[in-house]
Amino acid sequence: MRKRILAVLLAAVFCFALLAACAPAADDPAPAPPEDPAAPTPADPAPAPAEPAEPPDPDAIDRSQFARAPFVFPDEISTELPRNETVYHFGHQWGPSNGWNPFSDEMNNPLAIEQVGAGARVPMFETPFMYNFLDGSFIPLLAIGPPRWNDDLTRLEYSINPAAFWSDGTPITAWDAEFTFYVNNTYTAAPSPFIDRVVAVDELTVAIYAALNAAGQPLNPLMLDQFIIEEYVLQQAWLEQLVERNNGDIGAMQADPGYDVVWSGPYTMYFTNDELTVLIRDDGYWGQHESMWGQLPVPRFLAHPILEDNDAGLAAMMAGMVDVSQMFIPNVQNLWEVDGLPISTFMDSPPYGVTVNMPTAWFNMHSDKPGIHNADFRRAIAMAVDYDLIIANAMTNQSPSFAEVPRSLMNPTAGEQALFDSARVAPYQWDYQMPNVNDRIEAANELLDEAGFPRGADGWRTYDGQRLPAYIASVPFGWSDWEAAMEIVAAAGEAIGIEIVTQFDDWSIYQTFVTAAVHTEYDIFMMWTSSASPTAPWERAYNLMSSDHVGHDHNWSGNWGAWTNARADEILSLIPVTTNQATLVDLWTELVILYLTEVPSFSLMYRPDQFHAVSEAVWTGWTEYGDGRNVPPANALNGFAIADKFNIRLVG
Amino acid sequence: MKNQIKQLLKSGKFMVGFIVFMSILLFITIYPFFVPGNPLQMIGYNSFIPPGTYLSLYDAVNPNVFVYTLRIPGAAEARIVNTLPMSDREAMRDWLVRAGMPEAAIDIYDPETLLALWNANYDPDERIEGMILADHRAYQRLNNRIQGMFDASALRLYSADPETGEPQFQAPITDTDYIALSDIVNIRRLPLGTDNFGRDMLKQLVQAIGVSLRIGLIAGSIATAIGLLLGLVAGYVGGWVDEIIMFICNLLTVIPGFVLLVLLAFSIGPAGRSVTIVGIVIGLTTWVWTTRAVRSQVLSLRNRDHVNLSKLSGHSLPRIVFKDILPYIASYVVMAFILQVSGAILAEAGLSMLGLGPSTTEVATLGLMMNWAMSFSAHIMGAWWAYFPVVFVIALISFSLNLMNTGMDQIFNPQLRD
Repeated sequence: MRKRILAVLLAAVFCFALLAACAPAADDPAPAPPEDPAAPTPADPAPAPAEPAEPPDPDAIDRSQFARAPFVFPDEISTELPRNETVYHFGHQWGPSNGWNPFSDEMNNPLAIEQVGAGARVPMFETPFMYNFLDGSFIPLLAIGPPRWNDDLTRLEYSINPAAFWSDGTPITAWDAEFTFYVNNTYTAAPSPFIDRVVAVDELTVAIYAALNAAGQPLNPLMLDQFIIEEYVLQQAWLEQLVERNNGDIGAMQADPGYDVVWSGPYTMYFTNDELTVLIRDDGYWGQHESMWGQLPVPRFLAHPILEDNDAGLAAMMAGMVDVSQMFIPNVQNLWEVDGLPISTFMDSPPYGVTVNMPTAWFNMHSDKPGIHNADFRRAIAMAVDYDLIIANAMTNQSPSFAEVPRSLMNPTAGEQALFDSARVAPYQWDYQMPNVNDRIEAANELLDEAGFPRGADGWRTYDGQRLPAYIASVPFGWSDWEAAMEIVAAAGEAIGIEIVTQFDDWSIYQTFVTAAVHTEYDIFMMWTSSASPTAPWERAYNLMSSDHVGHDHNWSGNWGAWTNARADEILSLIPVTTNQATLVDLWTELVILYLTEVPSFSLMYRPDQFHAVSEAVWTGWTEYGDGRNVPPANALNGFAIADKFNIRLVG
Repeated sequence: MKNQIKQLLKSGKFMVGFIVFMSILLFITIYPFFVPGNPLQMIGYNSFIPPGTYLSLYDAVNPNVFVYTLRIPGAAEARIVNTLPMSDREAMRDWLVRAGMPEAAIDIYDPETLLALWNANYDPDERIEGMILADHRAYQRLNNRIQGMFDASALRLYSADPETGEPQFQAPITDTDYIALSDIVNIRRLPLGTDNFGRDMLKQLVQAIGVSLRIGLIAGSIATAIGLLLGLVAGYVGGWVDEIIMFICNLLTVIPGFVLLVLLAFSIGPAGRSVTIVGIVIGLTTWVWTTRAVRSQVLSLRNRDHVNLSKLSGHSLPRIVFKDILPYIASYVVMAFILQVSGAILAEAGLSMLGLGPSTTEVATLGLMMNWAMSFSAHIMGAWWAYFPVVFVIALISFSLNLMNTGMDQIFNPQLRD
């Protein structure tokens, strides 16, 4: 209630500001001076933008009142960063950056550029809305007011905040948004199948049109929701230059380092070298206007050291040299409980974070080894795995157990769990039905005996009188939680007479195999599923079960095991356009049961979208569970998590 | 021969090495009889359980265990010191002072009043101005830990009714209740704790030493056999045979042995990398320097009088090589073999560290144990038991083998002989 009153008040203030701007006698108010970033106390709600009563009318607003001065790069660059003005991130970047070009996905500059479904990374480039995976809400960033759907879900509209300006001092317009989509969708090997076009209705209004099926229904309206939190809006003028100087060659445009890029976010490039990538605050940032954050972010520099491995990062964090880390730290609680270090995770007790992702072991349907194509065989392996052991020892309890959150296609969040009929699914959830792994091993053995895989004299199972071959199970080398999880799967194989041999290959090799249209190197392998996003859990189910992904090279979108099923495809196409709640629950329930019977893959654990551990050696005021600020633990970088950058303060 | 063995027994270095090595062998032979079971069984549902003796809490609170009453002076104090060490009391004082208490009113040497004061003032939800989250949470944990510590009747034993699930009162537990350790059926000693998979470290270590020695023996035998044979042939036959063998030797000397090992192990693939195969692969890549050394020894032997005499007598090549030359270099070959074994154990450790050794679920090896300890950051997180014993054992084996080798060298090598 308090929030709503606040919103109404802020809206009134904003309308008043607009009226004042229209009054002919009014002096042009100068852009608000950077406020003293005196930190609010942790009890304050995170700064949230105002919601206007109506979409802004471009003809009635003089945007020059919000104008900002172009950013001026500092004359000298110092590689010595003042510690009390710098937030050090870790766990995103493993090699030097190639540049600052947001059009490209080859920049290896994850502090500045990352466009993902759980919310794009917004320190330098901005999306219309910020996603908050804690409650699925959309918070306006470049936009003002909520996104507006038409009734048949074919068109999504939003308004650009009149105060939003590019770093070169020009206003951000709907034409920028239109042109960004045009460039992204033209100069690409894979145009968006779900979005037909983006159109600037007027200077401040953007309309996104869904791609339609033959019946005139949108293919998947969820994808439009995702689009406005995932895709940056880039400046038309800069994009034109990018296209022109590279003659529209996609490869050259991808390789262009984009040093002249124009941004809208609160940070920009400072320097990058073999050891460090550094962003510096843009003190003219438009978002300090009261219609957005009302202040500048607190730290002046964001830095990411490039270190050898997680251990080096962990050592740096323990020494107080890293503030926020995105890495899996085994037994993370020892850092504070045993070592007494000022390091915390979102929650103080297991699972320590918000687990929204489900790393999954896939059976490879390209493999011609016996059993892989037999659902009972696949289910027997999945049943025999000691998931409690994976969660306790491979994940060191940074995941809820499958007894707590029985397996389905959904992550543990309440919203997703409510989508299917758990009573109807329960009989198929083996680790829920048989919480004791020994019972499951016994059941798996029976299942294999009946399915035509009897044990031979040596204890290993046979098929057609031949001993089953060894099945190769792989994860990327050095991903320790995945490696350990796969070893536990291999141990399960041994318990049911199936020889599973692990093979850990370097990520560069692993990903080439797994994303190829046809690959036979591994019989079982691990990949992730989609995390929290506006399209979840549909997109996760689509990752796990859709035949759309099968047969494509460079497949990064899912179903790497290439299992296909016509009914699964049908349900997946029905869910996005079904609005009747009861039908939707039926569809989801059927799909989950299909998944648990066919077992094309099986999740081994729940996992956060990003690991999130913070050190309070220098900065404090990070998001924490139950603090009332509702900022997601995403390293103070992705989507609404950036709000932490406006809230932290120096310790002491 | 007898004389040489006598000399060996007198050599301090050799004997120390020999005794250490034999003790390790003896230990790994008899330990499994005392603690049977599969060393790869994942028993712990926590990673890196520290070394210690673990007794079943379920058995300990079993109402059928006979309860003795002992009023032991100092027991309550010891309990308080353990639950509320001075560092925690100082932390409590700091909190109370920050919350506005006068410092003089707080006596940290009187835990009972301190706790009363704490309970009266501490509010777990109150966030003191300027206190960081980590400290705030540390106080909440401290508060949970010390609740009810002075209430001797605080603990009661309940069991769940099998029908309704309602708790049923079983017995009170007071601070004078004792049970005999011998009454508890399930006690598990984990002298070296567990690893990241929850496997008994000592049992694994015992198996791993055996496996590593087996790899060492296989690799050492193969490397020595190849090295000896090629060295003898090259040295004695000479000519183009020598040139070809030396050419191959030189070629392999230039390529770093470990790189070759890695490539071979990788190309075999995980399914093929059993203990024997790994031993063979190591053996096949480490014979070069034995060949060179044997060859140079043979070169000096081939023109000795007794060899020439043998030649003139028309003895066959194998007979000359094996009867007239081999015995003279036998002691050297034994020493080379020992070093090969030691080198192979290290090579396996290196290979497994890279994930190119035998499978984790198949067998424990010293290298695999180190690999897992490292990937779960045992060295950073203070779980010394997961890697130090392994490192120590590797050092001990290679130390004892090298000591034996040095001792033998001093006896067999005329240049070093006293």
